[in-house]
Amino acid sequence: MRKGIVIIVLLLQQLAVTARDIDGTKLFETLRTKVLSVRDYTAEVKMKINVNYMKIPPLAGTLYYKSPDKMRLERHGGLSILPKKNINLTLRNLIPNGNVMVIDVGNTTIGNRQVRILKVVPEDDNSGIVLTKIWIDEADMVAVRTETTTRNDGTIIMDLEYAKYIPYSLPDKMTIHLDLKGYKLPKGVTMDYDDLPETKVAKDAKEGKNQKGTIQINYLKYEINKGISDKVFEVDDREKRQTKQ
Amino acid sequence: MKPILEVNALTKSFKTFKAVDNLSFTIQHGEVYGFLGQNGAGKSTTMRMLLGLIFPDSGTISINGYEFNNGRRHLLKSIGAIIERPDMYGYLSGWDNLKIFATLSDSKITKDRLYEVLEIVGLKGREKDKFKAYSQGMKQRLGIAIAMAHNPDLLILDEPTNGLDPQGIAEIRALIVSLSRDHGKTILVSSHLLHEVEQMATSMLIIHKGKKVSDGRLSDLMNPDETLIEVNIRPNNDLAQLLSGSVWGQLTVSQTEEQIVLKMNPKIVPELNRWLVDNRIDVLSISSRHSFEAYFLNITNDTTTANRAI
Amino acid sequence: MIQLLRIELYKIFKRPRTYISFGIVTAITFVIQLAMLSDGNSFVNFALQGVNEQFDIRGNILNGYLITYIILQSLLIHIPLLVALVAGDSLAGEANSGTLRLLLTKPISRLKLVMAKFISSFIYTVLLIMWLAGVALVLSLVLFGKGDMINLKSDAFVMILQDDIMWRYGAAFLFAVLAMTTIAALSILLSAFADNAIGPVISTMGVVVVLTIMSNLELPIFNVIKPYLFTTHIIGWKGFFDDPVPYAAITRSVVVLVLYTVGFLGTTVLYFNKKDIKS
Repeated sequence: MRKGIVIIVLLLQQLAVTARDIDGTKLFETLRTKVLSVRDYTAEVKMKINVNYMKIPPLAGTLYYKSPDKMRLERHGGLSILPKKNINLTLRNLIPNGNVMVIDVGNTTIGNRQVRILKVVPEDDNSGIVLTKIWIDEADMVAVRTETTTRNDGTIIMDLEYAKYIPYSLPDKMTIHLDLKGYKLPKGVTMDYDDLPETKVAKDAKEGKNQKGTIQINYLKYEINKGISDKVFEVDDREKRQTKQ
Repeated sequence: MKPILEVNALTKSFKTFKAVDNLSFTIQHGEVYGFLGQNGAGKSTTMRMLLGLIFPDSGTISINGYEFNNGRRHLLKSIGAIIERPDMYGYLSGWDNLKIFATLSDSKITKDRLYEVLEIVGLKGREKDKFKAYSQGMKQRLGIAIAMAHNPDLLILDEPTNGLDPQGIAEIRALIVSLSRDHGKTILVSSHLLHEVEQMATSMLIIHKGKKVSDGRLSDLMNPDETLIEVNIRPNNDLAQLLSGSVWGQLTVSQTEEQIVLKMNPKIVPELNRWLVDNRIDVLSISSRHSFEAYFLNITNDTTTANRAI
Repeated sequence: MIQLLRIELYKIFKRPRTYISFGIVTAITFVIQLAMLSDGNSFVNFALQGVNEQFDIRGNILNGYLITYIILQSLLIHIPLLVALVAGDSLAGEANSGTLRLLLTKPISRLKLVMAKFISSFIYTVLLIMWLAGVALVLSLVLFGKGDMINLKSDAFVMILQDDIMWRYGAAFLFAVLAMTTIAALSILLSAFADNAIGPVISTMGVVVVLTIMSNLELPIFNVIKPYLFTTHIIGWKGFFDDPVPYAAITRSVVVLVLYTVGFLGTTVLYFNKKDIKS
């Protein structure tokens, strides 16, 4: 008897979970549709790269995005530094395409916000994404955090804050957390001006420790779905010279 | 009037080698003072000390009555000098060199004065040539021009005829004499050749191995009665006997069968010659050399200077 | 003194050798610029390997500012030689050619002569650095254009925005003048000891090379003396291209270099004042 009850409870639970999973899948699909509704945008951005071995001042520029995966930071003659291609700085690229399996993990709070956590696994084995965990604010129907495990680029965590562009699911502020390899050049090559003992960065690099880093982007102004020519994303001649291996 | 230069007990050693040893001498205004000694006797070292190039271990130097040392280099204004070779900037013209070194002695020196000294040393017209293109004689002249440009009282000239051809030597010698006679300069001139000093100097100092050997007025040092007359003859057995019986025997310094050396005034050489002929002594040659010269040549081992034929 | 200085400058700039230095600076600059024009990208890719794996850097990386930095870094070892060519020759060259003899029979103090030699060497150094700044910076900007500058340190990737660079170069060139003045003072000191012109030039380079190696060797024994070697500090100009600029370290370097310069010069005067001129 007792055993029967246990089985029933388990079944009920399973049913409940399944019901919620259907909800989760629906939720995910709604979010994905909303994210995908942005075909392109141009945004004035301010970017700050916080990686302890990279000393880069805040960079201002124009960020061009065109779906599915074209992106360019135009800095009016200055250098543009973006994380490598497959870690593009949009939600679009961190959410799996195609058929997915969604697991509803439950609710939690971020700050004072109620959010729902979904785990999304793409069914396509060739996808660059192994698993994405998404924290969704159901009230505004936006992802406030994603944690994406990629096949080649480690785990990327992205925090998003929204204001004016909530209808497009476009953030005003985005913080990306990265895992980076250490960095070290031989001192003889660089002839550093430094009479201090070996820094922590150099020591970590020598020991093969990875570095944590964040990239913070403030979006000041978006122009959404106005259409952008592919030419914008073409590298100019000088860049071509400099980026060919 | 105070002497223009007074040197007292000057001593300088390089490591264990004593280059100048307790040297004292005085130069009066208007003199041409010959400074004689073989190469390495200490002449250059002494002159360098007079000019503040080398610092003495002990002793004093006074210029116009003021003691000279490194803190009183302004006293050098009254001296003009060339030490050893007249080395200058080869890539600059003679004029540039003259101007550079002359202005260092006297910043108010005029262009006219520079042309004047070029005229005196006979370089006018060649001043625009590069120094490296100059002949040795021209270099010496430019050196003298630089030494005298600021109109110093005392000129110190170290071996000014070194490396010159005979004509050059004669010209420089004449220039020195003229600087003293016509321009009233006091000149200290060094040489390792007695006859050269003899032709210019009024007084003379001889040093050997850093020490003073002799000094004084040329007229005193070179007393004609002290001249050595050397007579070379055909071998004559009677010579000794003939000499001892005559007045010439008292003047004889040495004699062999083939040579007689007498100390006497060259003025009476004709009488000596007549006596030799009268006594049927065949004379091959007669030459003279001052005893001082003989003495100098002896200490300096200078065999290059031949006796002067009469 | 002014008279003496004018004469020293006249001698320096009347001499063909002086202009060879300016020619060498120009030639090295051209060579580096040409090399960078033809093959700069592989250089950049090589240097940026570590960063390129993780970041996508686009734009005019190989711009005039970076090229100038590379030129300055390469010339680090050459400029001391060019400074030594003039400063090392200042006393020894005159001794060798015999002109020191004539010069010192003039009513000028040896202190003033040394100071005139030093100041004229300093002016020559300033002109050489200004020339370098002109050829390297102006020409590189013309050839390679402007852009943000990347500075690779052994433990950091520094990026400086293009609007923020010029003052750094100004400060760096000023610092380079100080560093090279120290070298000039060292050369003059060695020059006072020697009676031939080539000796001080070679020994200056010897000292600079040996001490630079000691400054760069990662051995504990050298770490103790490193802060006291002037070669550790002559590359202080690089500090201006760090973020944030290590002003404390730069100030320390400036103090060390000034002390060395004064020390070299003081020793020169003390020694030269007592030196017997036998050349």
